[in-house]
Amino acid sequence: MRVRLDRVVKRFKALEALAGVSLVVEDGEFFTLLGPSGCGKTTTLRIIAGFYDPDEGVVYFDDVPQNGVPPAQRGIGIVFQNYALWPHMTVEGNVAYGLKLQRVPPAEISRRVTAVLEQVGLAGLERRTPGQLSGGQQQRVAVARALVLNPRVLLLDEPLSNLDAKVRARLRSEIRRLQQDLGITTVYVTHDQEEAMVLSDRIAVMNEGMVLQIGTPVELYEQPATLFVADFIGTSNLLPGDAVEARDGIVAVRTPAGVVRGTAIGALAPGMPVVVAVRPENVRLADGAGAETALPGTIVLTQYLGSLIRYEVEMAGGIIVRVDVGDPHRHTRLLPGHPVEVAFASRSAQVFARER
Amino acid sequence: MAQEALRPSLRPAARFRVPGVVLALPVYAFLFLFIVFPLWRLFLDAVTTEEGVLTLAFLRDFLSDRFYHRALLNSLLVAGGTVLGCTLLGFLAAFLLVRYEFPGRRLFSYLTILPIIMPPLVGIMGLVFVLGRAGTVNVILMDSFGLRRPVNFIYGWHGVLLAMILHYFPLVTLNVTDALSKLDASLEEAAEAMGATRLRKIRDIVLPLVTPGFISGTTLVFILAFADFATPLVVGVQNLIASQAYLNIVQFVDRRLFKMGIVIGALMAVLAIVFLLIARRIVSAREYAVLSYRAADRQTLRGPARWLAPLFFVAVLLLAFMPYLGVTLAAFGQAWSLTPFPEHWTLANLDQVIHLTPIFVLNTLRWSLLAVIIILAVGVPLGWVLARTTLPGRGLMDAIVTLVLALPGTAIGIAYIRAFHFPLPVIGVVLSRLWIIMPLVLAVRRMPYTVRATFASLLTVHRSMEESAASVGASGLRVFADITLPVIWRGVLAGALFSLMFALQEAAATILLVLPGWETMTVGIFTYYTSGTFGQAAALGFVLILICAATLFIIYRLTGARMGGLFGSGGG
Repeated sequence: MRVRLDRVVKRFKALEALAGVSLVVEDGEFFTLLGPSGCGKTTTLRIIAGFYDPDEGVVYFDDVPQNGVPPAQRGIGIVFQNYALWPHMTVEGNVAYGLKLQRVPPAEISRRVTAVLEQVGLAGLERRTPGQLSGGQQQRVAVARALVLNPRVLLLDEPLSNLDAKVRARLRSEIRRLQQDLGITTVYVTHDQEEAMVLSDRIAVMNEGMVLQIGTPVELYEQPATLFVADFIGTSNLLPGDAVEARDGIVAVRTPAGVVRGTAIGALAPGMPVVVAVRPENVRLADGAGAETALPGTIVLTQYLGSLIRYEVEMAGGIIVRVDVGDPHRHTRLLPGHPVEVAFASRSAQVFARER
Repeated sequence: MAQEALRPSLRPAARFRVPGVVLALPVYAFLFLFIVFPLWRLFLDAVTTEEGVLTLAFLRDFLSDRFYHRALLNSLLVAGGTVLGCTLLGFLAAFLLVRYEFPGRRLFSYLTILPIIMPPLVGIMGLVFVLGRAGTVNVILMDSFGLRRPVNFIYGWHGVLLAMILHYFPLVTLNVTDALSKLDASLEEAAEAMGATRLRKIRDIVLPLVTPGFISGTTLVFILAFADFATPLVVGVQNLIASQAYLNIVQFVDRRLFKMGIVIGALMAVLAIVFLLIARRIVSAREYAVLSYRAADRQTLRGPARWLAPLFFVAVLLLAFMPYLGVTLAAFGQAWSLTPFPEHWTLANLDQVIHLTPIFVLNTLRWSLLAVIIILAVGVPLGWVLARTTLPGRGLMDAIVTLVLALPGTAIGIAYIRAFHFPLPVIGVVLSRLWIIMPLVLAVRRMPYTVRATFASLLTVHRSMEESAASVGASGLRVFADITLPVIWRGVLAGALFSLMFALQEAAATILLVLPGWETMTVGIFTYYTSGTFGQAAALGFVLILICAATLFIIYRLTGARMGGLFGSGGG
């Protein structure tokens, strides 16, 4: 099923939680709403679920407007951040509750409950109560409870945020596999950009009640549309400065560390205050001369991360540039105090306008 | 320099350490001497003759007496009826206050708690002034509406129920409010998303989850209503088990009746324990640790409901506060009779109880303040032992503290009369003839509030806060003074003030133990009222209300009015 939001606005008293959100979730797509806390991602999810009605704009399910339709009649399955399992019911009771409300015959209830618990890997735990389950198991019960009614769209509100790192990584893959097996349209809310990248077909990055960019993980990472997205997704070096020259989409920027070049995002003219964003893996350490923009600096920190070495290089003006060097074994590790030059290609750096 | 700095941290290891249990022993001893021992004595007395021979004759006498059967049944019915009424009022009030927004909600949420804090004896007296045969309402009805004979609003069972429900319903409101506000909104939203209607949601999700809170509130209501003897006596109902215990004990003519009083006292104590155990069973089987992330949104009431909700509170609160208005009128009225309101006003009554015979006020203050000192000396260490140590005997102490909260004052009074009527071993004094017994019994009765407040406050001081102070070299006492005390003192003080407030109002144990010269305000009210000196009884009541209100005000200022946890029978 296709979910479409058209210029949705939601206000809570004076606060505008959503300032005109438009997006389309295609049928069978895993779509993630990503952003820092308070950005409006959970509000968006609750509007899709029907717990809130938008103040302006329309929510469509397959081109049928859903405004005013109560959650139960939308055909959604929802998993809450704290799972919201009913502590006084068993696992079976939790999963079967919705079916009982729909007056499904008992034989079919037990068949469907068994099947869905099997699906999430909880067979045999029917009689336990939520208090007797681990966090990961509780999370699966919540997923099973959401899936048992065969929803048209699955909504997940930060379902992994209360789990420890190992369990989180495992459940992440399980959720993705389950979603692909079922081919169910899924909207997922998280503030964890790594989680969003791993799970999603497409991601909407949100901030302050607005959608800043919608795209595949690759698009967001490699072609961030705004400074916020560049900073929020992955790691970026941000070098503030002033544009001195703009030609053929390449901007020269004077930063305290020296003049660097990058690709202009949006219209930029000489004299404008800008920020150059470049990812650590796109920065090279150049021992000699020759690169197009090589700037001198001194290593202040060396971090060995197994698959790569990360250097922090202090440039003129106190600016720190992080440089990732892959394949640590073929590279002689440099120690703090070592003078180096850093360089990057202008096509792998983006230049954004900066507010004064 | 470096060595100097090291030295203090080496010292504690070298020092001889007193085992914690030795430090806790005085506290344990206090509880055993002043709670366990008198109770044991009470139970023993119920099954022995005056000569000390074990016998079941008294129990058999009691059980074969149809009058007592009836009284027991009546008491259970009154307690049950009170629970039912409190449930209806308390649930409705709690639901409205937690889930809905309507004009005056904040004000009502404060006011609704007040009745439980008012002295019950003053309440029932005030109710008579307003609703009695010659009370305000009847006089108005007869004068203005031509009614011939006064309506019997309160004399009899319905009066007992009315008075008790109006007094005790806040206990249910407090506990249910607490449980409701801990429910995470998503629990209900999850059901809603599956198509549960509002009623289904309440039945399947909300009610099961507030049951523990509800049970601990109603258990206390049941036990208190069951044990209350003063309220029924004032409205002329004697055929209750608690009233019979009181009447049998205060008469000194018939030894057999006196013995019956002891048997009933013991029975009431046993029943309170049984009720408490049953409640604990139910509660512990259904208590779930649910972390609340988000409280349910308060729904704004619209249409007629918007005004029905405040109307409900105004009506209930008017009824609940009416008695105190009646007492105030009677305190300042001169020769008030046969008019709806006093025609002439006077300060003579107040002058009488404050200036001319201040003994009641002074005694009450004296005993209560002494009691609070004892409570602080015993209750704070006890709260600390419960919250912070793994000393042997903790579980038992915890159980005793909860038990005391539920033990009828009548039973404790009778137990003290029996236990401290004889010279104590070793020291050879007869405690019941020394005035110290008054603050002692008050301290024992009201200690649980302070213990629980200390316990709860200590839980908010995370262990690591103290450990980090210790890690930079602070000694145990220093840690307590610099880290723990500044965090917990408000909570502890609030608990102590609660103890004080209820000590001021005590009207069961002290009435049984009082000797000439020791009379408290409640005793004074009882004596003045039963001898027909209503004005002075009312004046004493008025002063008592003022003192309690002042205490409560300080508690509010100290704690921001979080006190639900002090009233449950399940927690602790």
